[in-house]
Amino acid sequence: MDQKTISQEILLRMVKSFVKNEVAPYDMEIDHTRSYVNDLLAKVRQNDFLSLMLPKEYGGAGFDGRTTAKVINEIAKGNASLAVTLEGHFKSIDQIVKYGNDELKNEYLPQAKNRIVAFSMTEPSGGSNPMGINSHAEKHGDKWIINGDKIMITNGGLAEIYCVLVKTAPTELSIFVVDNEMEGFEYGKQENFLGLTGVPVGEIVMNNIEVDDSHLLGKVGMGKEIGDSAHDDARVLMGAVLTGIMEHELDLVTDYATHRKAIDTPIIQMQGIQRKVADIAISKETTKLLYQKAAWMKDHGQDYEEEAAMAKAYGSRSAVKAGDDSLQILGGYGYSLDYPIEHLIRDARAMEIAEGTVEKMRTAIALKEAESRA
Amino acid sequence: MKIVVGIKQVPETTNVKINEKTKNIDRRGINGVINQYDRHALEAAFEIKAKTNAEVIVMTMGPDDFVVSLQEALALGADSAVLLSDRAFAGADTLATGYVLSKAIQKINDVDLVILGQQSVDADTGQMGPIVAEFLDISQVTYASKIDIADGALHIKRYLETVEQDITAKLPLLLTVTDQANDPKYVNVVEITKSFEKPVITWHATDLNLDDDRVGQAGSPSIVRSISSPKAVAKDNHKLADNPQDAADELVKILKEKNILMEDK
Amino acid sequence: MELLKENWIFAEVDLNKVNPITYQLITKMNQISNLPVTVVLIESTSENLEDEIKEYGPDKIIIIKNDQLAQGNDLEMTNALDTLIEKTGRPNSFVFAATVVGRSLAPRLQARLRTGLTADCLDLHFEDDNTLIQTKPSYGDNIMCEIVVPNHRPQMATVRSNVFEAKKLNNPMLKVINITNLKVISDRQLTISSKTLPQENAESINDAKRIVAVGRGDKTEENLTNAKRLADKLHAVIGVTRPLTDLEEFNINDQIGQSGQSVSPDILINLGISGAVQYTAGISNAKTIVSANTDKDAPIFEYSDYYFVGNAEEFSKALEKVLQ
Repeated sequence: MDQKTISQEILLRMVKSFVKNEVAPYDMEIDHTRSYVNDLLAKVRQNDFLSLMLPKEYGGAGFDGRTTAKVINEIAKGNASLAVTLEGHFKSIDQIVKYGNDELKNEYLPQAKNRIVAFSMTEPSGGSNPMGINSHAEKHGDKWIINGDKIMITNGGLAEIYCVLVKTAPTELSIFVVDNEMEGFEYGKQENFLGLTGVPVGEIVMNNIEVDDSHLLGKVGMGKEIGDSAHDDARVLMGAVLTGIMEHELDLVTDYATHRKAIDTPIIQMQGIQRKVADIAISKETTKLLYQKAAWMKDHGQDYEEEAAMAKAYGSRSAVKAGDDSLQILGGYGYSLDYPIEHLIRDARAMEIAEGTVEKMRTAIALKEAESRA
Repeated sequence: MKIVVGIKQVPETTNVKINEKTKNIDRRGINGVINQYDRHALEAAFEIKAKTNAEVIVMTMGPDDFVVSLQEALALGADSAVLLSDRAFAGADTLATGYVLSKAIQKINDVDLVILGQQSVDADTGQMGPIVAEFLDISQVTYASKIDIADGALHIKRYLETVEQDITAKLPLLLTVTDQANDPKYVNVVEITKSFEKPVITWHATDLNLDDDRVGQAGSPSIVRSISSPKAVAKDNHKLADNPQDAADELVKILKEKNILMEDK
Repeated sequence: MELLKENWIFAEVDLNKVNPITYQLITKMNQISNLPVTVVLIESTSENLEDEIKEYGPDKIIIIKNDQLAQGNDLEMTNALDTLIEKTGRPNSFVFAATVVGRSLAPRLQARLRTGLTADCLDLHFEDDNTLIQTKPSYGDNIMCEIVVPNHRPQMATVRSNVFEAKKLNNPMLKVINITNLKVISDRQLTISSKTLPQENAESINDAKRIVAVGRGDKTEENLTNAKRLADKLHAVIGVTRPLTDLEEFNINDQIGQSGQSVSPDILINLGISGAVQYTAGISNAKTIVSANTDKDAPIFEYSDYYFVGNAEEFSKALEKVLQ
């Protein structure tokens, strides 16, 4: 066995046991209290989960895209919120690694071991339409002065380092890296979302934050490209989160249907139930294959935009449906706030919107299909 | 000070079934993990290491893929690892396995402390510790629930059925530990990569100066004659009488007959 | 190798009490053995535990009265038993309790005698030539193995508590042999001090041997009080399902199930628990499960060894009365 295979196996062994002992038992409590109870984030930091895919030269473990996605999948089986918090951190690190200059990388990447990094595009005036944003950076000598208001940031309020999309000219988008220790940086209000309630989603306000050129990610005008790249990375990992949610549902429904009887027959023997269970399993497996293919393509330097979009679009829609089927199988228990099915539906529902709506995914997929035949 | 920790790689779940065709245990699709009790043995060694700067050597006997568990132990904090792997070891029962382990520990030389988990979760025998202690001709303390080291001696708490023991043990010693002894840590994600800088040595039968009659199947007095699935896996689902008082009488009678409720409690 | 046509049992003594497994082993051996059944007893000079052992009808008791040995050092006891066996010859079989003491001493003696030992047996029987067929579980009781030791003696085994019944039996043929001149080779490495454990009361449900679990059907004060009284009678610990953790006196440490604790008691009594998956995930290791529920289709019944269809509170009260 080679070093890579052994490393991956050790990692996944650890993740499974961590999820079983530290995450899964708190799934309901995380949802109800809207926070990472059980000192979960401290444990995540202590075990260096935040450095999972951070390159070795910056003190990370340097695991590849497929391994990272598998880890996210395993964590989501225990609690989808925690998986999404890590997804937000990893996709942001990915962009600094890919586009950052050496000075920026040397400053921030070693810190990413302990400090969560976030990526923020959305503003009150625009989300999926980046040109609608108002935040801007102006050059004064060799400094940039940044002003603006970013909202609905995954891990907003929790993260300490932010990649922010701003205008550097009326039709020019660029991305800068700022952090919470800079003068003029303020946390704003937190959102009160329906699902993935463990994930803090919030606002940051930038008042005359002053940074030098090294804080520019890539070059001036590369904002859209880097934003798209962050979306692609996030969508692969969301496919993994959705797979984990459906695996969680399958665990619940198969156990229930095997033991619950109607007139002496376990309900798993009934076709109506079987059809639902089978559909959940097919959706789970399809989503898994899609995210693993996209991650493999990423690891091999191929364009994975379309596969990433498919993983998220297919995965989110089918996970919501799978949740609905699960609820139906469990009947009253499924509908109860005392049992986890209902929050799995709310969690999955978030991913039909976040990181680009399902509609936007379909546009991207359709255009890619046409483009590849043009 | 030198500590050897013996570990075993076991299936991640004990929920295994017998394959109808091969009549053997079906382990397809089940991954290996370090035996849970052995994680406590490792942690006990690391805690002693933290106080005494001891050298911790982790050891296992088994096929080459057990190297994953050795590497994991290195990532957890062991200093070096030894894999005992040879076709000649196949089919060994506890006695033959204990013999090979003891010879390997002797080869390491000057080992002060050997630590094992109280038992493995697959074979469930718990025999390895006492057997190795006997072959090494050293004292043993099994089922240690609390371990401390001071002035070169170990201070151990151990629980029998209704008895609590406080034991002071001088080295050399063999120790087996329960899951009460400590809280094993998770492997740190970054340490996995770093652990590959540490040495993993493989010893074959020829490296150990073994008596051929005492290894593998030839050295194993026990023979597994057959394996089967337990008959009554499913619960009895015995319905008690309809009247609460009759039901209670019936239940208590059954429980007493079956020694589940004993008079003395 | 000198062979002795006897089957031996090691008497487990926890400080000054014979562990009941010893009696269970005597009764079982008497049922299955064609050879004389001998009990080996190590006790302190002030004890006469053979008086109690006699009542179960072994053919012979070998008593080693020695204060040092009675302290329970595995190495010293191994030395003593080894010396004894050198004198008597090797018995056909030698069985121990699968307790901490038995599971520590037996394998050490096994290695000394270089024979086979089967740990944690659930059943024993002999075949015609006095071959001991040992049935042991492995993989956490998911697989049963039949193990034999064809060419070595003694055939050694440790046996789980409470799988066999103990029955008193008068054996007029009983022989008692006192070994007085046994040389004890002492183990200077260990100093052992022992004390009897006090009866635990504030046990956690993880380690509890007996649990009374209450569900949402039992949410009222009065129902809870009843359950607690039953638990007191049984020396059991109270466990709850998720809805009850809303009450101040319970928290996640008292909750059984997927988002709470996994339990493995000898006996679990479920009062008014329906048996949702989230709950039953935590009870798969309970040995004997008793459930009471008004819903005759409650899923919990499927997990139960014994179940009562009806009011859980009435059942609990009735049970309490029987246990007076």
